[in-house]
Amino acid sequence: MVNKKWSRRFFIGVCITPALLLLTLFMVVPTVQVFRMSLYSWGGFSNNQEFVGLNNFILLWDDMNFIRSFQNSIVLIVFVALATIIIALFFAYLLTNAKVKGSSFFRIIFYIPNILSIVVIAGIFSAIYDPESGLLNNVFGMFSLENLEQKWLGNQKIVIYSVAGALVWQAIGYYMVMYMSSMASVPKSYYEAASLEGAGKMRQFFSITLPLIWTNIRTTLTFYIISTINLSFLLVEAMTGGGPDGSTEVFLSYMYDQAYTNSTFGYGMAIGVVVFIFSFVLAAIVNRITKRDVLEY
Amino acid sequence: MMKSKNLLLTISFVLFSLVLVACSGGDETTSSKESEGKSDADGKTTLHIAALESAYGSDMWTKITDAYEAANENVEIELTIEKNLEEIVRPNMQAGEYPDVFLLATGRPEALTETLIKEDGLENITDIFDKNVYGEDVTVSDKLLEGFTDTLATNPYGEGDTYLAPMFYSPTGLFYNAGLLEEKGWEVPTTWEEMWELGDLAAEEGISLFTYPTTGYFDTVVGSMLYASGGTDFYNHTMTYEDGVWESEEATRVLETIAKLADYTHPNTVANANPNDFTKNQQLVLDNEALFMPNGTWVVGEMAEAPRAENFEWGMMPIPAFEDGEDRYAFTFFEQIWIPAAASNKDAAEDFITFMYSDEAVSIFLESGAIQPVQGITDLLEGENKMYYSIYDEGVLPAMGTFASTEPVPGVSMGDTLYGAIDSVMSGNLSYEDWQKNIEEASDKLRPAMN
Repeated sequence: MVNKKWSRRFFIGVCITPALLLLTLFMVVPTVQVFRMSLYSWGGFSNNQEFVGLNNFILLWDDMNFIRSFQNSIVLIVFVALATIIIALFFAYLLTNAKVKGSSFFRIIFYIPNILSIVVIAGIFSAIYDPESGLLNNVFGMFSLENLEQKWLGNQKIVIYSVAGALVWQAIGYYMVMYMSSMASVPKSYYEAASLEGAGKMRQFFSITLPLIWTNIRTTLTFYIISTINLSFLLVEAMTGGGPDGSTEVFLSYMYDQAYTNSTFGYGMAIGVVVFIFSFVLAAIVNRITKRDVLEY
Repeated sequence: MMKSKNLLLTISFVLFSLVLVACSGGDETTSSKESEGKSDADGKTTLHIAALESAYGSDMWTKITDAYEAANENVEIELTIEKNLEEIVRPNMQAGEYPDVFLLATGRPEALTETLIKEDGLENITDIFDKNVYGEDVTVSDKLLEGFTDTLATNPYGEGDTYLAPMFYSPTGLFYNAGLLEEKGWEVPTTWEEMWELGDLAAEEGISLFTYPTTGYFDTVVGSMLYASGGTDFYNHTMTYEDGVWESEEATRVLETIAKLADYTHPNTVANANPNDFTKNQQLVLDNEALFMPNGTWVVGEMAEAPRAENFEWGMMPIPAFEDGEDRYAFTFFEQIWIPAAASNKDAAEDFITFMYSDEAVSIFLESGAIQPVQGITDLLEGENKMYYSIYDEGVLPAMGTFASTEPVPGVSMGDTLYGAIDSVMSGNLSYEDWQKNIEEASDKLRPAMN
């Protein structure tokens, strides 16, 4: 009996060892390294790594460029998450509940941006935002709304929202499909009953659909945080280079700048640590405040 | 039961040893490579060359490799030539495996060369210049054009020691459509005063005076202007972060002029001044929407396929003088070749570098349009290139140099503060007074970190 128990444990142990090893080697060790390097002053190559304690973090506190990049990242996370969630829910509801002709065709169309590489998206949006021949300014021109025409990538007050626009565009399809799949599993009879009781489409959405897919929405909130942090870096690098004059710099692009271009690798890792902690804490907070009783149906 | 247990034991043992092999394998190969680096069985040295594939293409490097292997039988060359060279070699370097020779200029966004300079990672190659060019009876310094090894771009620590050798050079200046100026009967301006007058004239025709690809291109403009405003000594003071230098009259004149240029800059410039769209700004000049842009001779090749206005013809002029009769400068941009201090074949690497200045190498590079600062090079040039490279024959002075190297200072970047902020100056979000204050502050923070 004891022998059997032991061999069972042994079997489990052997099965999870490869995964554990890989996890340690490729996740835990590098993460610990990032934390360790953030305490050093190091350029990236030489052997003279000087231990400076928390000095990198103290410097960060006074670095206005870092604070600006942090603000930009927060603006992006909030704006992209809100805009995407509203638009994706709207279209998901429309495509599952209203009898739209060719709904699977629309589903594919909406999903396409998600499979495009971020560099392609940067190219598409630099064409859309072009001050002269861009789609956006030309559409405004067509409707005689010249006062709405902008230098979308040149005006430093709005350029961060231009970046956000591109991120929302590429994210909608993915989240829409996720919401559609959970909406499809809501029994039709609930809607029928509700409409017999006289509830309109809006009422049905807020009282039936939303509560029943809430678990799904909660999960996607974490996705929004992680994907916006990552994708904003890629998009900013490809589309604006952090410019004009740093106004679209996000914290990861600033970290990259500091770790490599400015040869302050340790300082870059300190930014990495802040980003790491920030995204964890934010995800935890969001998770906590959106906690509701899970409705079973 | 017993059987399956044995099987499990075997599996776990195999897995464990696999992991061990995977971990130790890396070390083994590096150690064998290192010994191989010195010389292999038949006495040949393997020299690892890492070169950036730039607009000149990769062909010339393969040819150079063949030529050197033919000339020097004791050497076998392993060539890494990539457009994203930094990303390719960085992981190996962090693991301790360094190429022996690098052709990689300063001023790249990844700043690998600067990082090594800041970390004292370059080999002192001052003695190379007294050596004979490989296969010839002339010393390297006799072959080189004067002045190319006297600046902070080759002697980053400001002393007499040289750490980087100059390779391909390119004069920079303001590029324009010579055909358009001729057609309108406009004179090429020589002073800023004339520049503003031309700007007003052009504005009446709906043409902007100025545009720039990205703010990074201002390094040559600001450099030339600093030289023109205060001379060589003043330029060197700015490059070595001397206290108060950015608040001096000479510097103020430079910054004020750039701020004034904002009124004459094409309105779309800032929106396009990013890595994705900078060619749109260059296109403004081709389309006669803007007159001048700062650039280097590479722009001709870069925009070769682009549509252009009728009668378009490239012209290049030095940065205008501040007053009539004052000196005018055209900044010379050059790429550098260097040896990492951690390289394993330094002597062979030095020989290879001297070979770069041989007649054979010069002509191979020249075929691909890469031009080296060697004696008599302008006589070998033809066509447009001759026009650009003979800019200094007409009384225009060459400007060269870069900021002195410092220990890495977190969060402080002279490039961003001085050049990057120009986007904000142009869009009116930053007054030149605040800009000046920021530059002086950055300079103050970098001064104590100079190495």
